[in-house]
Amino acid sequence: MGDEEDPKEYRWETGYEKTWEAIKEDDEGFLEASVADIVQRAKRKRHALKQGSQKLGMMRHLFILLDCSESMSSQDLKPTRLMCTLKLLEIFLDEFFDQNPISQLGVIIMHNKRAEKISDLAGNCRKHIKLINNLNRTSLVGEPSLQNGLEMALSSLKLLPSHASREILVIMGSLTTCDPGDILNTIDNMKIEGVRCSIIGLAAEVHVCRLLANQTNGVYNVILDDSHFKDLLLQHVDPPPAAKCLESSLIKMGFPHQINIEGSEEPLTMCMCHVDSVDDGSKLTTGGYYCPQCFSKYCELPVECRACGLTLVSAPHLARSYHHLFPAANYVEMTFSNQASICFACQKTFSEADKQVYQCPNCKKVFCLDCDIFIHDALHTCPGCATNLSTFQITHSN
Amino acid sequence: MNNIELPSETQPDITSTDETSLLVVILDSNPGQKMLRDNPHILTHCVDSVIAFANSHLMQKAQNKLAIMACHSKTSQFIFPGPGRPLDVRQIDGQYEAFTNVEKTTKQNLAKILSSETSSAITESLLAGAIAMALCYIARLNRIKPPGAKLNSRILVVTGSGCSASQYMNYMNVFFTAQKQNVVIDVCALDQHLSLLQQGCDITNGLYLKVPQLQGLLQYLLWVFLPEPPIREKLVLPPPVKVDYRAACFCHRELIDIGYVCSVCLSIFCKFSPICTTCHTVFKMPAPLAGKTKKKKKI
Repeated sequence: MGDEEDPKEYRWETGYEKTWEAIKEDDEGFLEASVADIVQRAKRKRHALKQGSQKLGMMRHLFILLDCSESMSSQDLKPTRLMCTLKLLEIFLDEFFDQNPISQLGVIIMHNKRAEKISDLAGNCRKHIKLINNLNRTSLVGEPSLQNGLEMALSSLKLLPSHASREILVIMGSLTTCDPGDILNTIDNMKIEGVRCSIIGLAAEVHVCRLLANQTNGVYNVILDDSHFKDLLLQHVDPPPAAKCLESSLIKMGFPHQINIEGSEEPLTMCMCHVDSVDDGSKLTTGGYYCPQCFSKYCELPVECRACGLTLVSAPHLARSYHHLFPAANYVEMTFSNQASICFACQKTFSEADKQVYQCPNCKKVFCLDCDIFIHDALHTCPGCATNLSTFQITHSN
Repeated sequence: MNNIELPSETQPDITSTDETSLLVVILDSNPGQKMLRDNPHILTHCVDSVIAFANSHLMQKAQNKLAIMACHSKTSQFIFPGPGRPLDVRQIDGQYEAFTNVEKTTKQNLAKILSSETSSAITESLLAGAIAMALCYIARLNRIKPPGAKLNSRILVVTGSGCSASQYMNYMNVFFTAQKQNVVIDVCALDQHLSLLQQGCDITNGLYLKVPQLQGLLQYLLWVFLPEPPIREKLVLPPPVKVDYRAACFCHRELIDIGYVCSVCLSIFCKFSPICTTCHTVFKMPAPLAGKTKKKKKI
């Protein structure tokens, strides 16, 4: 088992690094520019790694296992570990559903040696955020049970069809777990079912967590501070590479559209999504999305039809995920020597301050660092390639 | 001193802490579009209308910012503020210099681009790329604005060409980026109905208008697209059209209600096929289908 672990696992096992030498003062004696530079370099590095794996688990089913034990009331994260985590989870949920519109997510909390399901797998962002906000009133008592939490998540994930990507993200504040049985069996089960378990530790590294992550191809990280926590959490927004046992199949989906009968007004109807909710009941409305198979009405997409089980999506929902599969080409870093006078995209004039410029390998246009990051972080389309018909066709035939 | 610096550096200076609104007009000046092939003089009319409209935007508030882009099939360029120095303009007929500057710079740069257009082949205008450039430009202005300042940006696309499905992915990328950056995309269609760009307007809360009469272009621009998005709610504008978000299948390009989606690459098909044509994944057959075929063989 020892050889499976990272060779450079701990800081003190790696060579002597002079980390302070990477930071240089600028002309006015400020460090900010240098620090920003390091951050941007790290971002570029992550993008460089991203390219390559083509098969991604696009239809993600993720359970967040949140530690709500006594250790979460610790104040090393401000104001408390739990508050900080909930705030960051809110950002994470927003980002997650923005980037993975056809994925589903559920939340389980672990406290008092028990696991409790807060929300079942669902694709509605607002509902989850509401439930997460309610969590700050839970009493933080007892020890967490990692095994109970994992078993509960597994019992739901087991039922999913074979093409679904199954994941668990554990946020663990405690250094101990109080389990009813042998957790190693649970880990083996996870491995057999192909559930990818990732863990973010809030305190220190724990062997059982490292083992769980290693065995299930997940990642295990321990946070340094709250901004590092955010960074680690947002890493899980991008879809992971598809697991080996993931089967591919064609999934039947419905694309609802408004029914328009000329000359007649739409009838008032109730939607299926709010029909049995207690706090905000179903209202009679016109408009909405009708399931093409059974004509049940829904007020939001994407949703799984309650009557006939058909997944209902709109075309832009699918299109929003395409950039994971067809990312913009990585730019080549070059030292600036008057390749171009301005950045092609943002029209910024290059000056002495721009030591590096970035060139697209397809259209050979030159961009500044900020645009490089903006294009690969947000836009996912190279403006140079997309404005020229000849390069446009090259990138699309690939 | 100011004249020595390049315009792209001086132009975006946002000095006031007030709200500033930036308008980026993307003018499709591709000579290959049908409208211009039939009657090339229309372009002059369009350019004049757009310049008058752009000046009206500048006139509304001293802090308002403007950029104009020309979109072709080989390249897209900023024609105002163009590359190179700003023109040295003097007052003519008592017109405010900034307006004269917009008109002269735009026309000069546009003439340069049009004269460099050599091929007479009919090509589509790559509007998605132009919008991508505009978004990068807006992102830069957002980066360099003084802390506390607010920049409301919008993009107006004025085009006479149709939209093709080949740019679909680029369009969706720019629409969702615009939505995330709070950039409104307005579209003024001159000739053909643009269903893809209409989706973009719907996603970013912009307005879509197919101009019924080209003669009145300026009037349409001023009435519909000049008011800023917060004011629009209070005006009686053309009602939003219901946008058809149905998907077109990758095999026949037909709009479908129920389709099959590849779990690996999310391609959409109208019928079950054993191999995905996009990513070449082999699918397992659905179980009930296999059962049926067996029975048939036995009989």
